[in-house]
Amino acid sequence: MLPTFGHIALVIGFAASLFAAWAFVIGGRSGDERALSSARRALYASFALAGLACGVMVFSLLTHDFSILYVARNNATTTPPFFSFISLWAALEGSVLFWTLLASGWAALVLHRYRSRHRLLMPWVGATLAAIDSFFFAVLVWPGNPFLRVTPVPAEGAGPNALLQNHPFMGLHPPLLYLGYTGLAVPFAFAVAALVTGRLDEGWLAVVRRWTMIPWIFLTLGITAGAWWSYEVLGWGGYWAWDPVENAALLPWLTATAFVHSSMVAERRGSLKAWTVSLVIATFTLTLVGTFLTRSGVVASVHSFTQSAIGPWFLGAIALALTAALSLLVWRLPQLTGTGRPTSLLSRESAFLLNNVLLCGLTFAVLFGTLLPLVVAATGGGTISVGAPWFNRVNVPIFGALLFLMGIGPALPWGRASWSSVRERFGVPVVAAVSAVVAAWALGMRGVGPLGTLGLAVFVGGIMLDELVRGARARSRYRGEDPATATWRLATRNRRRYGGYLVHFGVLVMAVAVAVSSGLASQTSATLRPGESVRLAGYVLTYDRLVVEPLAADPRVTEARAELTYGGSQEGRLATALRDYPNSTTAVATPSVRTALGEDLYVTLLAYDTATRTVTVRVFVNPLVVWIWVGGAIIGIGSTFAIWPERRRVPVEASEAERLPAREPAPSVEGA
Amino acid sequence: MRYLRWLLVPIVVVPLTLLLFHGFGRDPREIPSPLIGKPAPSFSLAALDGTRLTAAQLHGRPYVLNFWASWCIPGCVDEHPVLLEAERRYGADVQIVGVVYNDSPAAARTFLDRYGDGGWPQLSDEGGRLAVEYGVTGPPETYFVDATGIVRGKQFGPLTMAAMDDRFAALLAARAAQ
Repeated sequence: MLPTFGHIALVIGFAASLFAAWAFVIGGRSGDERALSSARRALYASFALAGLACGVMVFSLLTHDFSILYVARNNATTTPPFFSFISLWAALEGSVLFWTLLASGWAALVLHRYRSRHRLLMPWVGATLAAIDSFFFAVLVWPGNPFLRVTPVPAEGAGPNALLQNHPFMGLHPPLLYLGYTGLAVPFAFAVAALVTGRLDEGWLAVVRRWTMIPWIFLTLGITAGAWWSYEVLGWGGYWAWDPVENAALLPWLTATAFVHSSMVAERRGSLKAWTVSLVIATFTLTLVGTFLTRSGVVASVHSFTQSAIGPWFLGAIALALTAALSLLVWRLPQLTGTGRPTSLLSRESAFLLNNVLLCGLTFAVLFGTLLPLVVAATGGGTISVGAPWFNRVNVPIFGALLFLMGIGPALPWGRASWSSVRERFGVPVVAAVSAVVAAWALGMRGVGPLGTLGLAVFVGGIMLDELVRGARARSRYRGEDPATATWRLATRNRRRYGGYLVHFGVLVMAVAVAVSSGLASQTSATLRPGESVRLAGYVLTYDRLVVEPLAADPRVTEARAELTYGGSQEGRLATALRDYPNSTTAVATPSVRTALGEDLYVTLLAYDTATRTVTVRVFVNPLVVWIWVGGAIIGIGSTFAIWPERRRVPVEASEAERLPAREPAPSVEGA
Repeated sequence: MRYLRWLLVPIVVVPLTLLLFHGFGRDPREIPSPLIGKPAPSFSLAALDGTRLTAAQLHGRPYVLNFWASWCIPGCVDEHPVLLEAERRYGADVQIVGVVYNDSPAAARTFLDRYGDGGWPQLSDEGGRLAVEYGVTGPPETYFVDATGIVRGKQFGPLTMAAMDDRFAALLAARAAQ
């Protein structure tokens, strides 16, 4: 009964979003306010219906209703409630269902928020978003129906994917990532609307940048949380493997980042408009391509879902979205040619331009490496895989160049810079960078990668700090504010600039942590009898005993746990385990990670022998890893700071203006 | 010249679509078995009913080794009626042997009681040693061994009615040719 209810909700949701798309187009062509308001209501309804369907699925998972195929495949009577709940997004159909909820949620939010602004654009934004939603609903009604039934009803289900029920991070990483992915449909919808109406002005740029930044923040946090999950769960001591799904998340992130930068040039100089729109289109297309790659079984990956019938649907959607958006772009191309004249090579514009070239180079390299196995297979070359060493070799130099640009970009003025002003700004940071490298070398740090990254980071950080201090000092002098107030006010009056600096600072922290942790990690493995020890990087680990028992939370799972004591710069006891899940072909590692500010002690159990009680463990000492997650958090805080709405100067009037619906259509006034 | 820019659309869309489309024909996890054309790994395993079965006992008659588990939903559930039908059609000429893969005997028994027991031997592969020798990546997987003990084929994923007919016919043809 209940599953039927969920299915009906999806069917009505499909109809409602299709109706919304149609009514938005009618409203957009005629300006008929009734058509637009009923379109909006239909869109809100489709969001509510997706919510209802998700609710039904979650309830069925929590109550172990194995009459639903999805529940029977991804749940067992012994699955703990938390993991039952998050199984909503642990497999193909459920994740598309959750995806639809988020996509229709973003659509409803945007349409509600701008219901009385951007009157010319919004119908087309609504039509695009509703069309995208109706695609996802259609996938759920036909090829990816999450409410398919099983008869006879099995007595027990298979249980969630072993890897996915092993760590609570599964509750965090997918929702963040999906919020980012689905949110990137919003800037795409604005791009389509701008191309349809021909209104590609500064107001448009401001809205699109804000609505690219919001999903960008979620995508950044989602990628960071995914890396963290991989580090805590997979037991290989690393956090990024250039797996196709990691790449799929990185690709739209790269193009969205390029957009955020190029849009500033477009806004400032009126140039690069066609380019900027292309980036928005590319970003959305890449989210679809990524989804396609991972949800259709085309590439092998840790994440890839089972081969399924939804692949052709996604392929059709990619072809359709790309054809439509590119055709609109080509149609408008004559109007998009820039008004800006070429500028000096030594200017902020040039730095942004170079930043875009590099980010697109990265995008291309990552896309190439991800798709190469497909190209080779398509041309009859057999099965190949492109490994992490290739990606590192190609991408690390580009990342280094981007880091360098991050420093010189903000130091350069718009228009034209003189060499002498550049030299003046670079002096102190260069000295600081050289001293930092020398000091690190003296303290024992070796390796070109870690030392080079540290030097670059100090250089870039120095330039940003110098800029902030100069500004704050000037403000403090002219307004008589104390330094702290002056700094805060300076930053909050220029949120975009100083929020951007904070984001860059987070990137620097992350870059140093990545370079040091990958360049200076040490590892060893040892087979130990009870009482024996292994030494690594100042740590002594002593193997105490082996315990093999069913897991308390889920008795179907057998855990073999090696208990060790460790001493060194951290001390204590730890247990690292291998878990045997009934539905997994291999035992799942449960590494033990002891995190400190300076380094992580990471121990994973490779093998054990119950007869002799010997265990084989691999031990890693990974320096600075925690700073990667800290860097991700700083990026999140910085970007939130950057897009936080500026405080209105006259709050009373502003809020009244917002409360009253705009009586006269004011299409010429476009503002974020 | 002015219309030339429209070429941009197909230049981008067509190759990308074709490339992605090409990926459909294959399953990236499907690995061709190196065992094909080689002697089948030998075994001596206890069946669920307590009797013992060895590979040597099967010599002289083609056999089909089906790795399955009660938790493999829906693959093994979908496949089960196909196997029952295979036993009905080809049981006189081909011995079907089930291997319970990474599952408890009790759960396997419950599965058979629920979906129907075809009466062929169900071996309990404790520790999954036979599965490792065959290189099973996940159930269901089915191996076709001819009367001389040579592996002739491998089915990755559940057998469908059509696939089952083709596979069994090929196996019997291999025997007729000898």
